[in-house]
Amino acid sequence: MRFSTFLSFISPSLGLLLGLLLAPLLITFYLSTQHCNLDMQEVVVKEQTPFGVQETKTIKAKIGSDGKALTICAPPSLSHYAKLLDTERLGKAISSGNWRDIQAMEFWGAMEFTLFYVIVTTPFVLALGLLLALCVNASVERLKSFWIAASLLPFVITPVVGALAIKWLFKDNGLIPYLLTFINVNIFWMAEAWSARLLIVLYGVWHVVPFAFIVLYAGLQSLPSEAVEAAHLDGANRWQILRYVTIPHLMPLIAFITLIHVMDAYRVFEPVAVLTQGTFTKSVQYLTYHVLMNEDNPSKASAAAVLTIVGISVLLIPLLRKTWKEYQPT
Amino acid sequence: MNAQSKKSKLNSCGALLICAAGLWSAAAFAKCGAIEAKGEINIIGNAFPVLQHIAKEMESCSVPGLKVQFKMTPQARTEIETAFSSNGKSPFDAAVVAMGVYANLQSKNQLLPLTQLVEKYKSKYKLEDNMLVKANGEVMAIAFMSNAQNLYYRKDLFEKHGIKVPTNYPEMVQAATALKAKEPSIEFPIAQTFAQGFDVATEFTNIYRSLGGSFFKAGTAQPAFNDAIALQTLTLMKTMMPYMTPNAFASNSDDVMNQFQQGRAAMGVLWASRAARMDDPAASKVVGKMEFAVAPAAKAGAKPASHLWWDGVVIPKNHGGNADAIFQVIMEALDEETTMKGNDIAVWIRSVYKPGRFGSAVSASGKAGAPIWPTEPFFNLAHAELGKVIPDALTGRISMQKALESAAAAYSSAAKEKGFLK
Amino acid sequence: MIRARSLSWLAYVVLTIWVVLASLPVVWTAIISVRQYVDAFSIPIKWVAPFTLEHYSALWIDRGFYRNFFNTVIVTVGTVTISLTVGCLAGYALSRYKGRIGFWMLMIALIFRCLPHSTLLPAFFTIFDSLGVRNTTLTLIFVLVAINQPFTIWMLRAFFANIPQELDEAALVDGCTRLQAFRRIIIPIMWPGVITTGLFSFLLAYNDFLLSSALTNTDQATMPAAIANAITAESEALLMQGIAGAVSITIPIIILVVIFQKYLVSGLTQGAVKG
Repeated sequence: MRFSTFLSFISPSLGLLLGLLLAPLLITFYLSTQHCNLDMQEVVVKEQTPFGVQETKTIKAKIGSDGKALTICAPPSLSHYAKLLDTERLGKAISSGNWRDIQAMEFWGAMEFTLFYVIVTTPFVLALGLLLALCVNASVERLKSFWIAASLLPFVITPVVGALAIKWLFKDNGLIPYLLTFINVNIFWMAEAWSARLLIVLYGVWHVVPFAFIVLYAGLQSLPSEAVEAAHLDGANRWQILRYVTIPHLMPLIAFITLIHVMDAYRVFEPVAVLTQGTFTKSVQYLTYHVLMNEDNPSKASAAAVLTIVGISVLLIPLLRKTWKEYQPT
Repeated sequence: MNAQSKKSKLNSCGALLICAAGLWSAAAFAKCGAIEAKGEINIIGNAFPVLQHIAKEMESCSVPGLKVQFKMTPQARTEIETAFSSNGKSPFDAAVVAMGVYANLQSKNQLLPLTQLVEKYKSKYKLEDNMLVKANGEVMAIAFMSNAQNLYYRKDLFEKHGIKVPTNYPEMVQAATALKAKEPSIEFPIAQTFAQGFDVATEFTNIYRSLGGSFFKAGTAQPAFNDAIALQTLTLMKTMMPYMTPNAFASNSDDVMNQFQQGRAAMGVLWASRAARMDDPAASKVVGKMEFAVAPAAKAGAKPASHLWWDGVVIPKNHGGNADAIFQVIMEALDEETTMKGNDIAVWIRSVYKPGRFGSAVSASGKAGAPIWPTEPFFNLAHAELGKVIPDALTGRISMQKALESAAAAYSSAAKEKGFLK
Repeated sequence: MIRARSLSWLAYVVLTIWVVLASLPVVWTAIISVRQYVDAFSIPIKWVAPFTLEHYSALWIDRGFYRNFFNTVIVTVGTVTISLTVGCLAGYALSRYKGRIGFWMLMIALIFRCLPHSTLLPAFFTIFDSLGVRNTTLTLIFVLVAINQPFTIWMLRAFFANIPQELDEAALVDGCTRLQAFRRIIIPIMWPGVITTGLFSFLLAYNDFLLSSALTNTDQATMPAAIANAITAESEALLMQGIAGAVSITIPIIILVVIFQKYLVSGLTQGAVKG
């Protein structure tokens, strides 16, 4: 294919990528260095409300000649980054070994939970996915497509809806806490850090296991039956066959699932926004959203966004290296 | 509506639902009078029961060519602030706000003065002086309801066990102890909105002010809410914890209501505007059993630990165009008819309102000296920071002193970023 | 093989438990959606309660959820159509062009594939506000198409790479232009790949909550954005409408799974096989 043809074929897509992804990222970085606020002054206002008239001393924005509030800007700087990273406090927290001090920090606390979520969900997703794949493989032929169809729902359901459904199930007076009282377990899921985190992990596993299961099940279909039979004849038991024949065969797929899951888990947002609104469980993506929407501080939110991107870039290095090797045109 | 227009509508409708909506808005035409405007009017407000009533009234002003829509969301405060400070047009042409948000918007000079519109339509909509919120003589908002937190309690249980209705928090804890001992049906005697964030910070504010605390050094934006009174406030809040659900830090107004409605809790301080839902059999198992009283004081002899709030409607300077039409839609929805139709679901400011079983405690709170909710435009920053740390201080994850100090430090930093502190 | 069967009952037990757990949240939500609030969150739990559709009628008619439904239709149809058109062109070119630029574009797409979406919001607010296009479904469509591009390109490129080059070369020899060869020869063979990619584009657009709720309001909001107020519902009526809304949003997804199960599965495994 000629270069000019190539260019004309990819230009719409490239335009979208540059215009709506790359350019906004550059703007985000620009915003993160800005420090503007309204120019405030003390005034005395005579206020009349339904509860009477009062004179109050308050602070109001200065008004320009066009009737709009005046802003003043400090020179651009990286001080939002310095505040979010706060290396001094982080150093103290690490050297004192007090984990809670890290959790209490705005950005590092969010990063801590995000990595916790990534690390804890991954093995469960893989193990349960493999278990289900083996079970379906052992099932009779005509039930197989039923198992697969029934498993797809948690994966394709709208995440915000899935998280809401789980929230309603685990609410104080929901079904699960009620059923748990029969075995004398009284858990108030949103009340403590461990249970709130566990709930989000449960959602994550519920949501992603179908994906791992279907990919691994597809992998099992290409497992050479001669290898299994040979191992069997050599006297290998079920566990040894799994350990030395099946899992090595599935290893590339396990690596694939891990990579995809790590990338997606790093972005965890909906369960945090829905289940806990960030209590004990602020993730990096939720932090940006929260600072932007609830603290109404776009430039600080931009700094948090840039740090979030730095974080994912670090996580991405293994994937990029693998892809680099595979696709490097020779 | 004549048969012909009905028929032409039916013909043009593609789906049944659109038909229903079309007929419904056409029927509303007569109700709203002929507001001469085209296009869309978008209004935003919080998601509590009264606003559903008002939202319906506003949306019923839709006519062919003019669409009125009301967005109800618990995120209203932040959405309003972002929308009104936008350089372009605000996506919302009006907002229903509580006084704290009003103070904020007003400090940023983002509200449209309504004085002329009020003059023009005063008689048409029977606007009462009490409804006008003025700053230096200019009308900036139209208030329609007041609100306060009241004591909700189970009259039947209090009478059954001969317990006195508490007038202060120490008495409330005593009553809770008695109920816990005597009444097996009540799991957690007290239910109160201790949810992390807005709710728990509001409880703090109520008790702190009742104990005589003040949030800022007089006349400045310097924080003062890390003093001895604040410590006392937290200590008092902690004495309530054993009588509340262990999930208290996740209990918002709705969860507290649910605890009352399901008969699991016996008393607590909650918004007056929610009282009517206690008597709806579709939502409640305690119909007729709840009673309402002035919120208890923080200590004997103090003023009630509650605040007076008003809710009103404002129009931003960067609204979508036709301020006249926007104002009329608002006023149609805040007319006497709306008040009378929803008499029991709010404490209305209009004089046609007849205080009933659900609303009388608000005026009683006012008479007993409950203060007005703080109106400093930087107050919500302090409120937000307190809301983040109080649960940790009450569970002992961090010491109370440390929590208050970190809240004060975080507040100072936020107030500097917004320009309130130099 | 006899030994394999001896343990197979265990497999059925595991699978049955899994299917129950997988469907429980949705099934329970559907059950409480047709109850009064007092029964939906009752202690002790009620297994049977009076049936009512009032939350559905309150949501769809009184609150005008049908508008959000139409918005979702517009957004998903728009996103899928544009994504596929733009993505097919790029995917095809990337599978046929051997130069270095193509490789770099794929790498950049891969990085964007992992981008947390909230990082784009501060800039989106700034740009769209100044252009005055923040609260429109059209803006949302273009944003979703862009977000979707990295995945679409990779997926379609993999499908195109499976089609032998000789096919389009033959067409070129016969006097077709590249575009004609692409339209008349390649796309017809590509249908399964296009359907699969389209399905995933559909899911992305349909399921998006973060961007949709931040960029659209009231009359422009999609269904997931519209039920956001059920998250911290401070009113029982809104909570119950949210529950009805959750079920309403899920029904099309269930239909989709039933019809397109084969394509969804092949899409999931496609990425795995191709790396």
